[in-house]
Amino acid sequence: MPGIFINGEPVDTGEHRTVLQVALANGFYVPHFCWHPELSIVGNCRVCLVEQEGRGVGIACNMPVYEGLSIQTDSEPVRVQRKAMLEFILLNHPVDCGICDKAGECTLQDYHYTYNGETARSHDPKLRSTKFFPLSERIILDNERCILCSRCVRFTREISKSNVLGMEQRGDSMLVRPVEDRTLDDDPYSDNVIDICPVGALLSCSFQYQARVWYLEPTPSVCPGCARGCTVNLWHRKPEWRLNALDRRENTRILRVTPLENPRVNGPWICNKGRDLGALIDRPRADRALLKGRRVSTKEAIDAARELILEAKSAVALVSSWGSNEELRAFRNALGDTFTCFVKSDSEPAENEVVEDDLLIRADKNPNTRGAQSLFGTDAPKFAEDTDLILIWGEGVDFGSLPRGVTVLFLGYWLLPENGHAEVFIPISVQTERRGHYTNFEGVVSAFEPCQPRPDGVIDAETLFPLLAAPPGSPA
Amino acid sequence: MSAPQRERRVGAGNRPNVVDRRRKYWNEPKLGWWESFYLFEVLRGLSITGGVFLRNMKRWMTGKKGALTAYYPEEIRADYAAHNRGKHVLTQRPDGRPQCVACNLCATVCPARVIEIQAGFDPDDPAHPKYPERFEIDYSRCIFCGFCVEACPEDAIRMVRQVPGLPVPDRHPGMWLGKEELLNWQPARDPAKPYPPKPKGGA
Repeated sequence: MPGIFINGEPVDTGEHRTVLQVALANGFYVPHFCWHPELSIVGNCRVCLVEQEGRGVGIACNMPVYEGLSIQTDSEPVRVQRKAMLEFILLNHPVDCGICDKAGECTLQDYHYTYNGETARSHDPKLRSTKFFPLSERIILDNERCILCSRCVRFTREISKSNVLGMEQRGDSMLVRPVEDRTLDDDPYSDNVIDICPVGALLSCSFQYQARVWYLEPTPSVCPGCARGCTVNLWHRKPEWRLNALDRRENTRILRVTPLENPRVNGPWICNKGRDLGALIDRPRADRALLKGRRVSTKEAIDAARELILEAKSAVALVSSWGSNEELRAFRNALGDTFTCFVKSDSEPAENEVVEDDLLIRADKNPNTRGAQSLFGTDAPKFAEDTDLILIWGEGVDFGSLPRGVTVLFLGYWLLPENGHAEVFIPISVQTERRGHYTNFEGVVSAFEPCQPRPDGVIDAETLFPLLAAPPGSPA
Repeated sequence: MSAPQRERRVGAGNRPNVVDRRRKYWNEPKLGWWESFYLFEVLRGLSITGGVFLRNMKRWMTGKKGALTAYYPEEIRADYAAHNRGKHVLTQRPDGRPQCVACNLCATVCPARVIEIQAGFDPDDPAHPKYPERFEIDYSRCIFCGFCVEACPEDAIRMVRQVPGLPVPDRHPGMWLGKEELLNWQPARDPAKPYPPKPKGGA
């Protein structure tokens, strides 16, 4: 662990081996485009310039540290050369920040304002290139904005290992393109290149022109797509920017999902299924309790359910593996003795979905199977001869597969035809309407926060279970 | 500076502890002997209002200037300043589409947050792929500061001298003006903007 000097201050390098890593770890910001902590070093953007005392200016991302090295991050030669480098990078950049979805979180925009800030001196017209090149169903590429940092190319080679992207031609004709006839559709992690792109060259089709990023705020959450339980940020409109004339549903809609960096679970990546979490939650919600298909108040439905539970001789509960740890504990404390409990799988892999791989995706498509099984055991659901009441919590049960003649008490989220087939149906809140924790397959517990209002008539499962356990007629 | 507040006890018989904290105004009427007859004062007042009415009527009937009454909103007042910041207009390209690229800078800078823009994507026009599908301004909250005009990088929004037609029966949607309404302004010639020739073909 050599000791080096940055701007005259002695710093301990720790485990880091390059000047850029040491500087960032010790709070000295060095601008960079092509360098990414998870990717290999290429050193092609030439913006992370620092001055090595006695040896001139060089790039920090590829400068090894050694004992007694003395670095200046903001000396006059560094400022001059960095400014020239930014001018060069912007030579053919269209600077169409006004209509670019990256504006507001674009590193090129930030660096230009911080380190250069001048208009172009070139009299030559900017080179025109492909504007909307479809890399896949999900991603379009704007070659005019691309600064050729090759982060996306290295991502597909080193992280997702799909090897889809490559560079074509040379100089200012250079283009990022899929190699041969492949597309990014083959890559289940392709959307990560949108996040790691330092400019607005790679754009998400689903988020394009939906909102400027400064209107949005993230809510930390957990992806329920598989047992990995990646931590994610759900981006939705800030309350102070709510819309009044346009569609009011936009105010609570999840506009995009990005990874929330978490070294214990997912690192800085998530898969494409996690990006589609917004569409999963945007399905029609059930917001009225049903009694034999008839719309009733939640209070009436709870009373009817209490009667059913009291009259049942042999009751079985199919516990949701999408329930939070708090809800599962509430269920065990309130109803664990009344019911014979089995953990069910709410969600099975869809067709064409990658079932399991080495990076993140797990075969179990439920977020909290481990948390549920630690409370209710790992047995597969089975029904005794005399079963007369089945409580179904969550999705994934085919009503036709249940024993004939049993009474069904259904706690669900979505507006489905099955809701009316149950004796009693009570709508419960989805993940984005409550807070809680999931335990992933490795035992790591992650928290999620609410970002959408709970509709009237919907009740939190954690509140509902103690109410169901109370005798009929008690307040609900 | 507010008028000094004196405390005065009122209704001493019924509510001995109630203190009247109402503000005292400088022109609290003090009726003299003559005024307390009322009838003469009423006639004097009628003669003032009647005189103004007849004078306005005469000027209006003879078409002379100086009538105090303007028939708002049918009649546009003549005395707006030449650079009055009135109603917003969206400027147009020669083909009639709005100049606006839906960058939301006007909506972001707006201190009253009255501008709402829904952006659309037009892949067939690489020069202007982003356009406003809807553009709404809430005139019930607009403060006519003109920041939107200054923020616009495309000279797409301006404010004209005339004021918007504000008297409507309801605030929503009556006082929201949409894209169609704002695009009504169609000058034959726009000296402020020499339009570039229409681009031929795409990139």
